[in-house]
Amino acid sequence: MRRVGTAVTVIGVLAAASALISCNKNPAAKSTGPLIYAKIEGGPHALPPAAAAPADDGNWTMPGKNYASTRFSALSQITPANIGKLALAFTFSTGTTKGFEAPPLVVNGTMYIITPFPNYLYALDLTKPGAPAKWTFKPKPAAAAQGVACCDVVNRGAVYDDGKIFFNTLDGQTFAVDANSGQMVWRTQLGDIQKGETITMAPLVADGKVLVGNSGGEMGVRGWVAALDEGSGKIAWKAYATGPDKEVLIGPRFHPFYASDRGHDLGVKSWPPDAWKIGGANTWGWLSYDPETHQVFYGTGNPGPWNPDQRPGDNKWSTGIFARDISTGEALWYYQASPHDLFDHDNVNELILADIPWGNGRRPVIFHPGRNGYFYVFDRRTGQVLSATPYGYINSSKGVDLKSGRLIPVAEKAPKSGRVTRDICPASPGAKDWNPSAFSPITGLVYIPHLNLCQDEGNMQANYISGTPYVGADVKMYAGPGGNRGVFTAWDPINHRKVWEIKEDLPLWSPALATGGNLIFYGTMDGWFKAVDARNGKLLWQFKAGSGIIGQPISYRGPDGRQYIAVICGVGGWAGTIVSGQMDPRDPTGALGFANAVKDLPMKTTAGGMLYVFTLPR
Amino acid sequence: MSSRFRASLLFLGAAALTLAACEREEHHSRSKPIGETVPAGSSPQTIYPGGSVPPALDARAKLFNNNANAISMGQTLYQQMNCVGCHSHGGGGMGPPLMDDQWRYGGRIDQIATTIAEGRPNGMPAWRGKLTEDQIWDLAAYVRSMSGLPSKDAVSSRSESMSGPTPQTLTAKPQPTNSDAAPQ
Amino acid sequence: MTRRATAILPLLLGACSYQHYQSAFGNAAVEDSQFLILFTIFLVVCVVMYVLVMGFMLLGFLRSRGAAEANVVETGRHHHSHPLMRTALIGWTALIGVGLAALAIASFFTDRSMAKAATGEKLSITLTANQWWWDVQYNSSDASKTLRTANELHLPVGVPVRITLASNDVIHSFWVPSLAGKQDLIPGRESDITIVPKRTGIFRGQCAEFCGAQHAHMALVVNVDSYPDFIKWWDHQLQPAAAPTNPVTLAGYEYVTTGPCGACHNIGGTPASGTVAPDLTHLASRRSIAAGTLPMSEGNLYGWVEDPQSLKPGVKMPTIGLEPGQLHAVVAYLETLK
Repeated sequence: MRRVGTAVTVIGVLAAASALISCNKNPAAKSTGPLIYAKIEGGPHALPPAAAAPADDGNWTMPGKNYASTRFSALSQITPANIGKLALAFTFSTGTTKGFEAPPLVVNGTMYIITPFPNYLYALDLTKPGAPAKWTFKPKPAAAAQGVACCDVVNRGAVYDDGKIFFNTLDGQTFAVDANSGQMVWRTQLGDIQKGETITMAPLVADGKVLVGNSGGEMGVRGWVAALDEGSGKIAWKAYATGPDKEVLIGPRFHPFYASDRGHDLGVKSWPPDAWKIGGANTWGWLSYDPETHQVFYGTGNPGPWNPDQRPGDNKWSTGIFARDISTGEALWYYQASPHDLFDHDNVNELILADIPWGNGRRPVIFHPGRNGYFYVFDRRTGQVLSATPYGYINSSKGVDLKSGRLIPVAEKAPKSGRVTRDICPASPGAKDWNPSAFSPITGLVYIPHLNLCQDEGNMQANYISGTPYVGADVKMYAGPGGNRGVFTAWDPINHRKVWEIKEDLPLWSPALATGGNLIFYGTMDGWFKAVDARNGKLLWQFKAGSGIIGQPISYRGPDGRQYIAVICGVGGWAGTIVSGQMDPRDPTGALGFANAVKDLPMKTTAGGMLYVFTLPR
Repeated sequence: MSSRFRASLLFLGAAALTLAACEREEHHSRSKPIGETVPAGSSPQTIYPGGSVPPALDARAKLFNNNANAISMGQTLYQQMNCVGCHSHGGGGMGPPLMDDQWRYGGRIDQIATTIAEGRPNGMPAWRGKLTEDQIWDLAAYVRSMSGLPSKDAVSSRSESMSGPTPQTLTAKPQPTNSDAAPQ
Repeated sequence: MTRRATAILPLLLGACSYQHYQSAFGNAAVEDSQFLILFTIFLVVCVVMYVLVMGFMLLGFLRSRGAAEANVVETGRHHHSHPLMRTALIGWTALIGVGLAALAIASFFTDRSMAKAATGEKLSITLTANQWWWDVQYNSSDASKTLRTANELHLPVGVPVRITLASNDVIHSFWVPSLAGKQDLIPGRESDITIVPKRTGIFRGQCAEFCGAQHAHMALVVNVDSYPDFIKWWDHQLQPAAAPTNPVTLAGYEYVTTGPCGACHNIGGTPASGTVAPDLTHLASRRSIAAGTLPMSEGNLYGWVEDPQSLKPGVKMPTIGLEPGQLHAVVAYLETLK
């Protein structure tokens, strides 16, 4: 009896032990593979409007590829089948070590590169082996501008039009340079660094006008968009984003869809007295243009200061989207995504123009992955919100009321003076910051590189001294639910849902590129340049660059007829300041809170500024 | 020695010790008129050609280096004058970090005071005419305290901000790596 | 009885104090009236008990001592007290119990009625205390009517006002004795107090919690006006600062907006937009300088602008050391800020 009992015990112990051992034999690897949520629906899907997204000529003349901002190259030589052979064709060192957000431009055999401060413009001859430089243009912006640039001294791109390259410099100038000779054609001083004003955005050039917006929402700078004449550089019109209607160019043609945007001089009345003069609402992000209606669409930035208790009221016309007539600048409609913004949720993200199936026909819309975490679909003609669906984790608002158009805030998450509010999601950079998504007309999906960050925020009195920051907030960011700080989502804008998603360890600060070969390209902050399958997100190819990637990848047809993929690495921007600004990671509130979220970044990458161009071997 | 004499001696000794702490407690309420603010005039570490002697440490350094009142006023001014907007709580951002041991323009209190008063080429604003001499030196004393340089009985024991780096009373004093830090 | 007491007693007591504008017996607001009712009850009860206690004590002194009582301690024999003593002691204890209970109940009901008065406020003010001045913000559902001023409160008579209290640095306490009791302003928290002023007049309040070297010079002037006068005052305060009209005030304006003043002070309608010091847009319309340190006058303005450290040592405003020409210009400009 006892021997049987012992035997049973021994067998039992052995069984338990082997079970435990086998449990640990294959621990679940940290999965970064794509998570599939839905199928790509067959049938008609969204398409970009033909006038705003003409047929691809193999060039890349503006950061968004076209006026509809699709960031889609129709070239299809490189496919999932052959991308395994993709190899480096040539490189070019830009000589800068700050955040590189701009794409290279390619126009008929010449590549143009605009760098972050000091904003050098290089022209490379693609017809010769090794793409040697043809000329370099040095605008020599004022060095003191570096002291009033909130989020690294970046430049988001130049634009080619009609034989000239147009770009902005950090100290508030717009330049037009002859694309062949590299000689300056004109330059216009638009911003004043003494007021804390800089310019980092890529202009929009259309209909004979160069549209430029300023930066400085963290410096108490009143926002505006100016249109310069393409030939002379003279100011044709200037529309402010706060203040009296006359200065915001709001007149009889202004028909906002929602009642809360209708009234007289709301840009004054929705602020305490004089606060609109230092109110922010800057356009430092993306503009889109519809050539059929001559309408330009753009978003406005956060109201200043960050501390909302100092600016009661809706703070028009911040965190919203304007539609304007490009010839006169008159406002046609407006929508405010975050009235009385609490979290620095600038609304300057890309506005992708598309036509979607609607009823028996098609409806002209705008796709807009908003900073506040909602993927908006607007009717392009009226500004009506057709849908607003969360594409990231949100606990700071309950949704968007489609009847009134207003964001429904969660009261407990509002930051208050003298107190710390914790676990605010999404954090200040939002569910997605400036880095734009790409739209593929083949799959009908929007490819969104974005963030999964939450934050703690403590507010205090902000003091206004012109030329210094006007913020009033201590912020500390960290990873959101799941632990991954970045996420790449393929979004179905018709069915309002994720199709597939890739979780990334580091925040994604790079834009996306979609190609006709059904490939999606994007870069990570530690320097991996990745290509995934547009249909299911499967990683097909990757390359480790010398520095983190936050710049727009492009695809072009070279003089030899082959398809090339180009990207410029150089970590920085708001997310990468801990590296490009050599910050001390011991202070979690550094870089307006981002330092805490990417404390490990200096271990994973270093500063740089290198162009990489890839192609398939012959 | 009578016990009374010994008691008096002890008392005098204790008084002397407390008097020694006065350096930490001195409160300056008035400085030179703002129009007469004399620059500290100290360059960052540089070459003095031909064997010329570097200027001596400014006399004001002794008044402000380990003065608790100056560091405390500097802490208030650091927030109010928006230094925190560019330099955060020492970690940096728009501006370089102030809590590490790398000093682009010198880490001695008079060099920091010059940086604040005159500005620097890559974006540090010039506060001459906006702040009095005392206020500038108060700020310089506080900036030094962010990297653990002053004596621990004069620095602030809490940072007043939401969550910042270790309190200055616990921040280790960095080892001087160049001749600029040595004279402290 | 209570109502007459609240009317007569304060008058009697008020006659003793000449400070009608800063007196807990000022009876100028509903909160203070309720406090006075409670005070009267306490006073009556305590006076009665005091008289009784004193009376019995005197009785004890004056009664002759008999030989028998002198032997009590030595013999240790049980001492038979006066037959009424037991009843008297029981009655006395009961009297104390009843008295205390009455006081507790009176306190409870006063608290309740004060809390009830704190509902339905029509005006909202945010008062932020700093070392050593008061930052006053009048809130409004119309954002463009938000008013920011300093060191002076204007209240409409008869209208419940809810004052939200916050602090930017250390603990202060808001105390306008003629209107209401004390309420602390604690950094990191928001407290509030509701006041319903009953009569017009000018009242003085001061910080009632030690807050640093100049705690004693942190006073607050409260003007209770009729409702139309209050609205007129609010509308006037919303106007931007008067533009300079002559070369001296113009020079003063230029110094104030380009020199050190604008880094801390706000003057509406000018580039000076600092928020960490008192708002100066209508400085000259106030009754005092530096939170009650000095009465408003030209001479005092000169003295304050030239050397605040000698008038209020340790104050956060530095002694700038203006040259005489600059001083004249700056004070001339400040005087136009009515």
